[in-house]
Amino acid sequence: MNATQNTWPWKVLLAVILIGMAAAIYGSVKKIDYEWRWYRVPQYFVYQGEEVHKIPFDGRITAVVANGDVSTVTMTSESDEVKTVTVDTKTIKVSEGEDLFVGDTVGFTATWHLGPLVKGLWTTMWLSAISSVLALAIGLCTGLARISKNYTVNMLAAIYVEIIRGTPLLVQIFIAYFFIGTVFNLSRNVAGVGALALFAGAYVAEIVRAGIQSIPRGQMEAARSLGMTMPQAMMDIVLPQAFKRILPPLSGQFISLIKDSSLVSVIAITDLTKSGREIITSTFATFEVWLVVAAMYLLVTSLLSQLVFYMERRLAISD
Amino acid sequence: MISAQNVTKIFTGRGITVRAVDNVSVEVASGEVVVIIGPSGSGKSTFLRCINGLELFNSGHIFIDKVDLAHKKTNLNHIRAEVGMVFQQFNLFPHKTVLENLTLAQMRVRKRSKAVAIEKGRQLLKKVGISEKADEYPSRLSGGQQQRVAIARALAMDPKIMLFDEPTSALDPEMVGEVLDVMKQLAREGMTMVVVTHEMGFAREVADRVIFMDEGKVVEVGTPEHFFTNPREERAKLFLKQVL
Ligand SMILES: Nc1ncnc2c1ncn2[C@@H]1O[C@H](COP(=O)(O)OP(=O)(O)OP(=O)(O)O)[C@@H](O)[C@H]1O
Ligand SMILES: [Mg+2]
Repeated sequence: MNATQNTWPWKVLLAVILIGMAAAIYGSVKKIDYEWRWYRVPQYFVYQGEEVHKIPFDGRITAVVANGDVSTVTMTSESDEVKTVTVDTKTIKVSEGEDLFVGDTVGFTATWHLGPLVKGLWTTMWLSAISSVLALAIGLCTGLARISKNYTVNMLAAIYVEIIRGTPLLVQIFIAYFFIGTVFNLSRNVAGVGALALFAGAYVAEIVRAGIQSIPRGQMEAARSLGMTMPQAMMDIVLPQAFKRILPPLSGQFISLIKDSSLVSVIAITDLTKSGREIITSTFATFEVWLVVAAMYLLVTSLLSQLVFYMERRLAISD
Repeated sequence: MISAQNVTKIFTGRGITVRAVDNVSVEVASGEVVVIIGPSGSGKSTFLRCINGLELFNSGHIFIDKVDLAHKKTNLNHIRAEVGMVFQQFNLFPHKTVLENLTLAQMRVRKRSKAVAIEKGRQLLKKVGISEKADEYPSRLSGGQQQRVAIARALAMDPKIMLFDEPTSALDPEMVGEVLDVMKQLAREGMTMVVVTHEMGFAREVADRVIFMDEGKVVEVGTPEHFFTNPREERAKLFLKQVL
């Protein structure tokens, strides 16, 4: 056998399989006679809204100066108060010397607004980011507690991990919002972030524990034999080495967290998934919207994977 | 300098109890080099680890410079800073460069400035003969070089005592010499050393005293001449016959 085998037949096979699957999906969709309306989707990313400008007093238009696409309109009230507004030239509704009453329309300006998909993506991202940071902190503390020799600390951590890992996230979110949230008067965002952070924290704790335990005992002993305290040895010697090892499973956990954050839509947080659902109720472009939403999740998660991949290579210099 | 009195260390686990160190009493004077030998499992490592508090013993006392390790108020971190230890498996910090390995504890424990720590680190690397590797990571070094870095790392703390636990056992034969040379130099400079080793040549050449341990007990103590030519105990004779 030749060591440098040709890979192109396998690449062709892969392409054939993928195209075949795409064709099968396309064919099935054709059969159910679905009308694709992709043109409706972009407006949910950004759209142009018109803002109306009105005169704030009874008065007269004293000047209209056109400057390309925009015009500056100067208005003077009966008590000689002067105001200027800038509107789009094409939308201008008044001319110089005209008398107006308060509230009459002078013109419009068009401005770009972020659509619900972008807003939802933003919500998903900050929700996941805050939850991740909290989960990391919770997981680090719990992971350290899990390897602690103190029975109480150790058991408390173990019970927390057991409870979280043994119950569905959806139920945890309901409990966080409807039970704990009601008792302590928490907003839905706090309940959502809290539930996600506690959920991911339990998994991070196990990852951290395994990572620390994978560092040879000799490392801790060498550090202690130099007179370093337990926390110093942890911070300078064990955790940095453990971090390198737990980075891949940790990033997997955070990618899961981004995806799991879609569940907070059940407590009416308008994340990417909830935005998708809301758009569908008004457009009925079900297929398009869900495909776009899926693609947006995929984009975020693969960017995160790339970032982690880059970090791994940076950390590999001491190998 | 070191005074161990009736030290006993018992391991319990999986239903069996092992008296790893059994009523051991040893005195080591300042500047003395003591070599501990004995068969595998005789408790040499465990005793050494008791001396710098890596292992807590069940009964007895160990005084380092008159400070009792068994006393509740003793800060073991302070003791460990004064007692350097070199391990069989080197245990260098793989994520730090050679020089960082030497400077970290100086800064954290001795509170030296970075410049002072680096100065000291470079000086010690020169002493153990690997100044050109200062900015390498440990994984790029040979076993002998790694062990010399480990010795330098311990020395960087200006310890009063150095403990060596089979420092050459994990090395390829051709690298044993370079590590032993560094240890011999230390001994000549008057460092107080306790060395667990199977290198009988080293023991004969450098040791002031040889301690033979078996089954957790000190079986025989003597000068190298006495021990290697005319040991009293049967077990020591048997052991020497096997290793020489
Ligand atoms: N952490 C531990 N838990 C339980 N038993 C242990 C532990 N460490 C050592 N022992 C036991 O204590 C005894 C002494 O071990 P020790 O490592 O001190 O021997 P040694 O003389 O250093 O042997 P070697 O020459 O193989 O290094 C052995 O029986 C060993 O199994
Ligand atoms: Mg040993």
